[in-house]
Amino acid sequence: MKLEVKDLRKSFGDKEILHGISFSIESGKALGLLGRNGAGKTTTIRILMDVFRADSGTVTVDGRPFHPKKFRIGYLPEERGLYPKKGVQEQLIYLAQLRGSSHADAKEQSMRWLKRLGVEEYAQRKLETLSKGNQQKVQLAQTLVCDPDLVILDEPFSGLDPVNSQILKDVIQEQIEAGKLVIFSSHQMSYVEEFCEDIVLINHGDIVLSGDLGKIKREYGHNRLVIGLGEEYQEPAQVLRDYVGDLLHIVGSRKDQVIVELKEGCTRKFLLKELLERNLVPEEFGNYEPSLTEIFVEKAGDQA
Amino acid sequence: MRQFLTVLKFELNNYFKNKSFLLTTILLIVLAVGIIAVPGVLMGRDSGSGGDETEYAAPESESTDGVDKDVSDQESVALFDKSGSIEDLSSFTALMGIQVQWLECSDESQVEEAVNEGSVEAGFIVEDLLHYTYVVENRSMSDSLQTAFSQAAAASYRSQVLAEQGIDASEIEALYQIQPESETQILGKDSAGSYAYTYMLIMVLYFLLIFYGQMIATSVTSEKSNRAIEILVTSVDSNSLIFGKVLAGAIAGLIQCALILGSAVGAYQIFRESWGGLLDSLFDIPVPVWIAFAVFGMMGYLLYAFCFGMLGALVSKTEDISKASAPVLMLYIISFFIAIFGLNDSNGILVRVASFIPFTSSNGMLIRIAMGSVEMWEIIVSGVLLAAFCLGAGVLAAKIFRFGTLMYGNPIKFTTALKKIREK
Repeated sequence: MKLEVKDLRKSFGDKEILHGISFSIESGKALGLLGRNGAGKTTTIRILMDVFRADSGTVTVDGRPFHPKKFRIGYLPEERGLYPKKGVQEQLIYLAQLRGSSHADAKEQSMRWLKRLGVEEYAQRKLETLSKGNQQKVQLAQTLVCDPDLVILDEPFSGLDPVNSQILKDVIQEQIEAGKLVIFSSHQMSYVEEFCEDIVLINHGDIVLSGDLGKIKREYGHNRLVIGLGEEYQEPAQVLRDYVGDLLHIVGSRKDQVIVELKEGCTRKFLLKELLERNLVPEEFGNYEPSLTEIFVEKAGDQA
Repeated sequence: MRQFLTVLKFELNNYFKNKSFLLTTILLIVLAVGIIAVPGVLMGRDSGSGGDETEYAAPESESTDGVDKDVSDQESVALFDKSGSIEDLSSFTALMGIQVQWLECSDESQVEEAVNEGSVEAGFIVEDLLHYTYVVENRSMSDSLQTAFSQAAAASYRSQVLAEQGIDASEIEALYQIQPESETQILGKDSAGSYAYTYMLIMVLYFLLIFYGQMIATSVTSEKSNRAIEILVTSVDSNSLIFGKVLAGAIAGLIQCALILGSAVGAYQIFRESWGGLLDSLFDIPVPVWIAFAVFGMMGYLLYAFCFGMLGALVSKTEDISKASAPVLMLYIISFFIAIFGLNDSNGILVRVASFIPFTSSNGMLIRIAMGSVEMWEIIVSGVLLAAFCLGAGVLAAKIFRFGTLMYGNPIKFTTALKKIREK
């Protein structure tokens, strides 16, 4: 299954929130929708789920228009909410049935997920009597109880403690391995780096970066090096600027390392030779691979 | 359809598993059965006694001296007859029509003292048959003693005057008692006979609406207030959701109502003899009226239920419902008052007009069918209009619900919602 989103535009009142969002994703992969608060991630997801209608643009699955109600979708909205006064399993069965499961399936799957998430002992309890962490697990069970083909999670890690985050990570990984199409939004980059092959970075309603994460990282690292001179140099960036400033640009720094970009015509070999000739023996000298956070800050930071 | 049934089942379960719903139902059943049963039990008559009505109506004709009567039923009354104008006290008591235990006093102060002490309930100081003083400590709203005494005094006075003129008073009294014999041949409807059950059916509808309207609105708002709405609108068609929720509320109301009325009717069957068939007219409802109630009453109930559903869709906090529901309640109360006036004038222009307006036709047409005259085409036109409004209100409620999905905060104005839906 291939889901394609083309040129989504959406305004609320006079303000255009999405200025033409496009991306695509296939089953068995996870797509991370990244962006700062208010960037347009949730609006994009809500358009996918038909909570809002886009002003223009299309969403297709395998070339045909996408109608969410015709698919089994596991949706975890940003605005979490279930029935506080109803029994845990009772509401899971109800929601699964609404999404097309038979009563028997819904019963079996709800119990399976409650067990998988370690909250089966609360199956008959009212939701409001559970701790917040356990309620979040029930939310996740709600998302997956209908055995969805598409899993759409809006800020799934928000508010989770490290243990619950780990459980969620494992569950998402299982879904990807089971060939499900997973889309999730987050601004917690470490999780995105773990699962996503593809990312879409939205800033102020525009896509500022999209594609294969590995490729993006390589492109960002292209022609850039990480150089570490050792602890004896207090200001390594200044040292490099003084000694070989005509060969490179200082791009940034990480702890004791300096990130540099080679000037045109300069090769790594030549730079290393020049450093050694000046008695500067680097302890570290290698390709720079940016973290997603660094890419994010650069693309969606205040200066972006 | 499957989703609708799933919602309906879930929402019905919400009602039937709700402790306060169950408790209210049980309490009202007990109350209904109790009201029917208590008079029978108090009167000490079981269904086998035959409930002889003539025996019950006897006090007027046989309470001459109260000897055979239960002493506890008698009122103790002090009497000071200054001029001895009451010749025969037992005949006088019979004329009063109630049982009285007289305490004859020799002066006014004795009467007052007896009343003050509480040994008698009241006292009379009689100058002559046309002038007396009624002495009582506290006068209650239901004090009928003085009226009875006045009647007896006037009758005694008439007898005395007639006797003085040589006319037999009993002949004159007999003349006044004559009732022409008549038979009634009703070719149309007997409004007098149908008044009781029509009134009852209208009250049933009224209470259903008052009790269930807000519950239905609350069930629609609950998903907004607990934030489950986003999961819900992405899982289920909003028509299925609103129709499921509103119909569940309506069905729960009907089941509760049927249980309570059913228990009352059942209890009445057991204690009917004790009531002397007094409530027969309330429960003896002809089939066409039942059909009118089932069609018009229920559709009217549904129309208002959908309006309450719409209100629920406009607000996002359950605490806003009571404020927001005022206009719909007001509309129904107008319909209710038209019905109450209509009960006395079932063919009047007000009821005729009301029977075609969907918001008032549930009561209006019910009254015309039960008590007035109505053509078949009128019933059909009114019924179709009501059904169309019902469906329209349901669909509109669903659209408003869908439109207001993520609008938390202040209630949305109805006109704003309509405008936005039309823009779409």
